[in-house]
Amino acid sequence: MKEISLTIDGKKVSGLDGDTILDVCRANGIYVPTLCELKGLTNVGACRMCVVDIEGERRPNPSCTYPARDGLVVSTNTEKLEKYRRLILELMFTEKNHFCMFCERSGDCELQAMAYRYQMDNVRYPYTTPPLAVDSLSENMVIDHSRCILCGRCVRVCGEIEANHTLDFAKRGWRTIVSADLSHSLGGSSCTQCGACMQACPTGAIFSKFSLYKTRPKDCQQVNTVCPICGVGCELTVLTKDNNVVMIQAPQPTGEKGPLCRMGRFELLANGHKRITSPMIRDKEGKLKECTLDEALEAAASRMKKLGKNFTGVISARFPSETISLFCQFMRQAVGSSRIDTMGGEAYRVIAEGNKSFNKKGDGLDTECSLDEILKSDCIVLVGADPVKTHPIVGSFIRRALDQNKAKLIVLDAANDVMPLRRNQWLRPKAGTEGILLNGLINAIVNKGSVKGREPSAKLVQSLSQYDASRVYADTGIEAADVELAAETYGKAKQAVIIYGQGVWHTKDTGLVISLLTLADLTGNREGDHSKVISLKPAANSRGAWQMGAAAKDLSLNHVQGLYLLISDEQVDNDEVLGWLRTIDFLVVQASYRSAVTSMADVVLPSPIWAERDGGQYVSMDGHVAKSQKVIEPKKGLLQDQEILRDLSKKLGYELSSSQEVSCGQT
Amino acid sequence: MAKPKIATAWMAGCAGCHMSFLDIDEAILEVVKLVDITTSPITDFKEFQPVDVGIVEGAVNTTKDEEVLRELRANCKILMAWGDCACFGGIVTIRNMFDKGDVFRRAYIETESTVHGKIPSSDELPALLDRVKPANHVVKVDCFVPGCPPSAKAIYHALVELLNGRIPVLPADMMRFD
Repeated sequence: MKEISLTIDGKKVSGLDGDTILDVCRANGIYVPTLCELKGLTNVGACRMCVVDIEGERRPNPSCTYPARDGLVVSTNTEKLEKYRRLILELMFTEKNHFCMFCERSGDCELQAMAYRYQMDNVRYPYTTPPLAVDSLSENMVIDHSRCILCGRCVRVCGEIEANHTLDFAKRGWRTIVSADLSHSLGGSSCTQCGACMQACPTGAIFSKFSLYKTRPKDCQQVNTVCPICGVGCELTVLTKDNNVVMIQAPQPTGEKGPLCRMGRFELLANGHKRITSPMIRDKEGKLKECTLDEALEAAASRMKKLGKNFTGVISARFPSETISLFCQFMRQAVGSSRIDTMGGEAYRVIAEGNKSFNKKGDGLDTECSLDEILKSDCIVLVGADPVKTHPIVGSFIRRALDQNKAKLIVLDAANDVMPLRRNQWLRPKAGTEGILLNGLINAIVNKGSVKGREPSAKLVQSLSQYDASRVYADTGIEAADVELAAETYGKAKQAVIIYGQGVWHTKDTGLVISLLTLADLTGNREGDHSKVISLKPAANSRGAWQMGAAAKDLSLNHVQGLYLLISDEQVDNDEVLGWLRTIDFLVVQASYRSAVTSMADVVLPSPIWAERDGGQYVSMDGHVAKSQKVIEPKKGLLQDQEILRDLSKKLGYELSSSQEVSCGQT
Repeated sequence: MAKPKIATAWMAGCAGCHMSFLDIDEAILEVVKLVDITTSPITDFKEFQPVDVGIVEGAVNTTKDEEVLRELRANCKILMAWGDCACFGGIVTIRNMFDKGDVFRRAYIETESTVHGKIPSSDELPALLDRVKPANHVVKVDCFVPGCPPSAKAIYHALVELLNGRIPVLPADMMRFD
């Protein structure tokens, strides 16, 4: 990088070729006011606060977009420039309806702070008082257009980072308004409710319904932790006040995982759920009644003692590895049972069996590539997966690849179209015939000579020959031209990634996983031991649960006599699972919220929510190890899940080992 | 030597700024040692007399407000505006988003606790101006202390500056719009 030298405010400073004047100022500790600039987004020079005088230029230019050059002579803070900045602020304040005295952003607002800085104590322009709407129709956010300064940070973060392009400017001049799609209102639009716009907004124009008026961020404590939901492993900054979670933000709002998602930003705030505050036991009349912890533990322990090795234990994979490990130890040593599983265990077993029979090394879940590969890819194949619903950051990664790499998107799903406006192809085989279609694709790739990786064995070529175009069409309904196009698109791509989900493991057919791995292998989409095939495992600590051996066994789940179910704050709303739970003779549930599950329990033990949980280790779906932090103190009297396990274990006459240090190898 | 004289008035305001001024608590004893507070909502004088410093709270909402403001302006050497309403128009300017007729109907007829409402129409009543304005959009204002209300500290600081012969502009750490 070539170094350049310029003069700013009479001082000789240096910068790098490619810098803007603003970059050089910042690098040299020279303050220049900005409003529409946000690190990580393209600079646009909209607000004009950063204007500077440049020798040779007839008028002030925005320093955020003006390229720095050798020999430039710049003034950043002349009396005239400071006056212009004050005028800009006065124009902004009189253009719309800015009422600081009832705005929840007051005290934390960049526009207000700038006005204070410029000692704006009156305005010289008449107010326009436009009748602007408050848009509160979306699920989590409100847009008050009266407070908007049209900086465009929301538009840019929605376009460049979340890559959903929901927000843009509508109309012109002083009637310009931020609009979601063409309808203007955020509700009912293509908005993913990630909240990136809200965090990017410098004023109170976009705010959260949940955090409204609770407190100001500067009066809050901030704790960084890892999100306990899906497995992408986003870092969260949790703001708390008086031991209450007030708001969740991204520590790096324009970073890759910056947008967060509707789950991590909003659903974790879990309004509307009833907390379980006391242990409960089903009495002789069959009603759930509050009881002491001792009574509840006694009831649970006595049935566990009776059933012994026939007692089953299922733990959510949203717990940190230490708790899962302790749970396994409890089941095996205290209860004497090896009937252990996790929520989502079936998924891990199918994936792992597929991976292990293909790779013959690794633990089964550690041979997938990093999620970053999606950002670099030029072809993405989604098989039986809808990341927009289940792993929204993966959705945004895909969209970024489509935007920045002109990537192609192929959806292979018997039931659902994903990203219908952006995908290039939707291959929709008849239900149950996905395997035939995949083999048809592999056959097409081999025949077209698109093999770039490992050469297929003669045996493989021979076994594939039956999946010719007419057979594939007859069985799956997919026409030859479509199969060939998909095979060509994927085969010719420089860096293709396959992403698969529930649509694959629900079939319990590990052959599908093997076919996907074969596709990647033959086309060179593999780096060392890692295939560019990503399974969207359903929970934050799927990998951790697998490493602790909690999902190793496929239990026969018919007529389960006794079940200890640790779900904490995870919601169980799958009808199949609920139906199965109803068949269980004796159900012990350790949960945070009342639900359909707790209402069928025989014993209910209260569990802290994610924010109250002691910190522990989480392994993301692509192997990043992170430590979660306890964010707030649990409600009075509430024990940690590990403490309940220890107390329960004592009732069974076994002392669980004291420290649960977990050391997991990296992938 | 005669002490400098001060007069205050409130227009379309909530009196919060005057309450904030009174929040200087016992320091008011120091203030009255140094100045004479003449006409004011917190004293008994009814008519304005020539003063050194005039202080106004509240936005200009009716013809009466404008009259009071102009009279105070004519009677003082330096005019100071307290609070967001006087400095910016403040919360009172919400009225500018609505038609005047709608405003009267809402206030006097449609409010939930009103039965058989009637819009007052006496000639003795001041008329609503077409638009609510801050003080400086009607007369020249020399000094501004924004806030809703400004803190007692900010008001005290501004008064002390004036008494020392300086027209203050609040420093950033005393500025507030809420």
